[in-house]
Amino acid sequence: MTRTRKPGVSRRATLAMMGAGAVTFATPWVARAQAKTIKIGMPTILSGRVAQLGTSSRNGVMLEVEKVNAAGGLAGRQIEMVIRDSKGQPQEAARVARELVNTDGCELLFDGEASSGSFAVHEVARDLGVLCIHTCSEASSLTADPKQHIPNAFRSVRQGIHDSIVGGSYAAAISKAKGLKKWATCSPDYAYGRDTTGEFTLYLKRFAPDVEIISESWPKLFQPDYTEVVTKILQAKPQALYSCLWGGDLTSYIDQANIYAMFSAMEVFAVNMADYTALTVVKNLPKGIHSGNRYIKTYPATAENAAWGDAYKAKYNEYPTNWSWQNATAVMLLSEAVKKANSTDGKKIADALRGLTIKCPFGADGTVTMRAEDQTLVGYAIGWGTTIPQEPYVPEVKAGDWKTIFELEAEWKKSKGYT
Amino acid sequence: MTELQAGQAAAVPRIETQSQRTRYRDLLIALAAFVVLASLPMFFGSKALLDFVIRCSAFGLFATSLNLLVGYTGMISFGHGMFFGLGAYGFGLIMQRTGVPVPVAFVATLVITTVVATAIGAICVRLKEIYFAFVTLAFQMLIHSTILSWASLTGGDQGLRGGIKRPVFLGIDLSNHVHLYITSCALLVIGLLLMRQIAQSPFGYTLRMIRDNANRASFIGIDVWRAKLTIFVLAALFASTGGIIMALFVSGAYPEFAYWTISGEGIFINMLGGVTTFLGPMVGTVLLLTLNDTVTRLTEYYGIVLGIVILFFAVGLRKGLMDFVVEWFAQRRDGAGERAP
Amino acid sequence: MDLDALTGCLASSACLVTQTTSGFIIGMLLFLVAVGLTLIFGVLKVVNFSHGAFYMFGAYFAMTAYQFTGSFALAMLCGAVGTALLGLVFERVFMSRVYGRDVLMQLLVCYAFVLIFDDVVRMIWGPEFKSMGMPAAFQVMPLFIAGGVVPPYYLLLIGVALTMALILGLGLARTKIGKVIRAAAHNPGMVSALGINTGLIYGGVFALGGMLAGLAGALAAPVRSLTPGMGFSVLIESFIVTVIGGMGSILGALIGALLIGMIRSFGSLGFPLFTEGLMYLFMVIVLVARPTGLFGKEVA
Repeated sequence: MTRTRKPGVSRRATLAMMGAGAVTFATPWVARAQAKTIKIGMPTILSGRVAQLGTSSRNGVMLEVEKVNAAGGLAGRQIEMVIRDSKGQPQEAARVARELVNTDGCELLFDGEASSGSFAVHEVARDLGVLCIHTCSEASSLTADPKQHIPNAFRSVRQGIHDSIVGGSYAAAISKAKGLKKWATCSPDYAYGRDTTGEFTLYLKRFAPDVEIISESWPKLFQPDYTEVVTKILQAKPQALYSCLWGGDLTSYIDQANIYAMFSAMEVFAVNMADYTALTVVKNLPKGIHSGNRYIKTYPATAENAAWGDAYKAKYNEYPTNWSWQNATAVMLLSEAVKKANSTDGKKIADALRGLTIKCPFGADGTVTMRAEDQTLVGYAIGWGTTIPQEPYVPEVKAGDWKTIFELEAEWKKSKGYT
Repeated sequence: MTELQAGQAAAVPRIETQSQRTRYRDLLIALAAFVVLASLPMFFGSKALLDFVIRCSAFGLFATSLNLLVGYTGMISFGHGMFFGLGAYGFGLIMQRTGVPVPVAFVATLVITTVVATAIGAICVRLKEIYFAFVTLAFQMLIHSTILSWASLTGGDQGLRGGIKRPVFLGIDLSNHVHLYITSCALLVIGLLLMRQIAQSPFGYTLRMIRDNANRASFIGIDVWRAKLTIFVLAALFASTGGIIMALFVSGAYPEFAYWTISGEGIFINMLGGVTTFLGPMVGTVLLLTLNDTVTRLTEYYGIVLGIVILFFAVGLRKGLMDFVVEWFAQRRDGAGERAP
Repeated sequence: MDLDALTGCLASSACLVTQTTSGFIIGMLLFLVAVGLTLIFGVLKVVNFSHGAFYMFGAYFAMTAYQFTGSFALAMLCGAVGTALLGLVFERVFMSRVYGRDVLMQLLVCYAFVLIFDDVVRMIWGPEFKSMGMPAAFQVMPLFIAGGVVPPYYLLLIGVALTMALILGLGLARTKIGKVIRAAAHNPGMVSALGINTGLIYGGVFALGGMLAGLAGALAAPVRSLTPGMGFSVLIESFIVTVIGGMGSILGALIGALLIGMIRSFGSLGFPLFTEGLMYLFMVIVLVARPTGLFGKEVA
């Protein structure tokens, strides 16, 4: 910054500026000695349109971290979470992740990023070799694609492909029973939307071969107005509609489709409906939308799950989201893995995590497993049901069958060239 | 800005006569700066400091090249970020798909940038003022939409995944943190030096003339369109280099790199540092990145803090930091001169 | 690309009616935002980059008022009046300091407030998205016109927007205030020499622009989810509208908004994956062919 001087700026002044600058910059960059506490770094999105992702992830993590700390911490070391905002920008996510490890002395990373940000943090984990658990990204390729695979990255999150297999077979059964042959789809135009919709229709047609997709709409992510999409679907006159819109986009879509009386004209399958963020926000929730479970405290219908949901609500005065349980699961997995490894060394924890099965309120049978081969979560509660406008919102959930999921997933991986 | 620019224009002849000396001086300072930067890893063990300088190189090249348009030629581009994104994607794609040596990919990316910038520039530079700003913004959004839609090539919203491999060339291993750091510094220093040469060359003074009065420039026989197009393409090349550094830093390329917010950030850096000095944007880059890194540590209400800082500069100081500093020194010197008999 | 769907639709009256009204709905809301932008530019020569924030505040004000009073009319009023006041204060305290300065400085002040306003909304209403809910009076079956579907709420929306367009157009052309505003846009020095308080006019125009954006936000609140930063995509689209229509022209904003509405509505049939790109492409073509926009005045 001192290469050229305008006439008038003295050399001494420039040096003084440089010196002052150096002091300012250097302070946060002095590496600290290893402490008794163990720091876990977490880049996530705390501002902008999806800030709720970050806040509810943070809540999910903190709820569990407090329990672990009260019980003595990780191998005797208290957990200190360092959670920072990436503003949803991948270069910031990478920067924050690197800084958390290199400067703040975080020994582990939770990656609370979505979509492109999670791939950026994944590259940081690849570069630095630090243990990293992805806690928000549902993109299947993050763990399914062997090109992405690194031994130190895990994922404690549901996956689009699992949802699609369960959703496809559930929808096919209803299709056959009600004779729904003409289908339309309406999903956000980005990787998650396109992949999940493609996989859903693949399995729907597999289980109900006479189904036909007669119309596809691809609104942009965060599009404020869906009127043209709604009317386009009405024109096509399908008997059923599939959508993987989520969050505020889904509620906007429902509000706008409602005044066109769309929900009385067709059966609607919206995989992301049964999440409290969407369920509690929509004022005039139409009855009978078919949805996958995101997080609801009545499914799995166990005392543990209900207690967890109530504890979260009591502490944060809001319902947990799908992101909350995924982040909580990351802490549970970590804590069990440290017990098993009896060490807080990242490599040893990673070895312990591979294939680890733990008791968990969000498991289909009371347990979840970190599958060893692709280091992603399986065995979590997954199912579909229909919504009603008040609690418990989804009174009956038809559980997905993990055996079928595993079979079809293996087949899908082969077709993608992943195995 | 205008009065300051006028002041600078008056200083033209004096600088011209010294151009040869200035050139050597610039070269020396550049060398010294590079030596200082390159020796930093020997004194500081902090990896975050190196990361910081790498990011400064990427954004610094980008912002300074934008200043060639905004400050020197008076072309306010809202779409300069498209070349930042183009550099990142071009380089990343070439490295991932072909596996050619790094320097070949680097040159190939610059060639692609030249072609694209010439095509877009030929359309854009005909327009003036705010309309130039809008049409560049529209092109930026068009490129961003294309990146998102063309998922088979670009990976869509998930970006280029799987990391960018960097085979060793001439003993330089870019997957080594220090090597990447030194290379970024070298690119930054060389880039700044080249831009400085452009700014101080006769062509640079043609640009200032176009900025101050395009009609007069065209009356004395300057082909305004051609000059504007040339600087548009040159600036794009440096922005693209910034994008390449960023792609190497994050080991990937993401659609956010081609989004208009990158252009907005570039403009903001220029305003923060000041557009009337060559190094203003560089100072602005350091300021913004420092601000960003410290504020995101302290609060999640980053927007409010940044907003207030911007207001301080825009409404309070009314100019960039370097503008302010330079003026303050000039005033002090003049004041001293008056007092002396 | 799906050109069959497009031609198929153009041949059927039901589809034509539905898609045309859908284009109108998208266009008229966009018009309310864009016309404020174009007015402010025309008179104050400021590109109000923070205009999307007024749309956002309009929606949030309306939602809050609706929650407390349960009255739809009051909610709309609150959205409009609240943002008008906000616009007035914003103009008098901040924008008035940067008139006649560098365009970049003005943009920077606006940008600062985009950041600040988004965070303020996040502090007050929280980061999660909200929904106002459709008033019971409009929860009725849609109307069927020539086989096409038209929801009554959207008829109200189009009606309000068209009324606003008429009032603005006539008001500026016929009334004394309108003449003063036009004069101030043309030659502010002369207007203030005639003893008219230009500061008041500037503040008023800014408040009017803010009010229109706020009204758009309030009207959209029952059908769109509310989040911090929601004004942003609307701002970008209204920019496209004003640039296509010509900065400073009210008629241009109306035509531009309807064009964008129709592009979205029919483009989603023919080019479902490139609807957004289509808008930018159209904007580039207009700018290249006619830099000042369809109805903009040639710059001297």
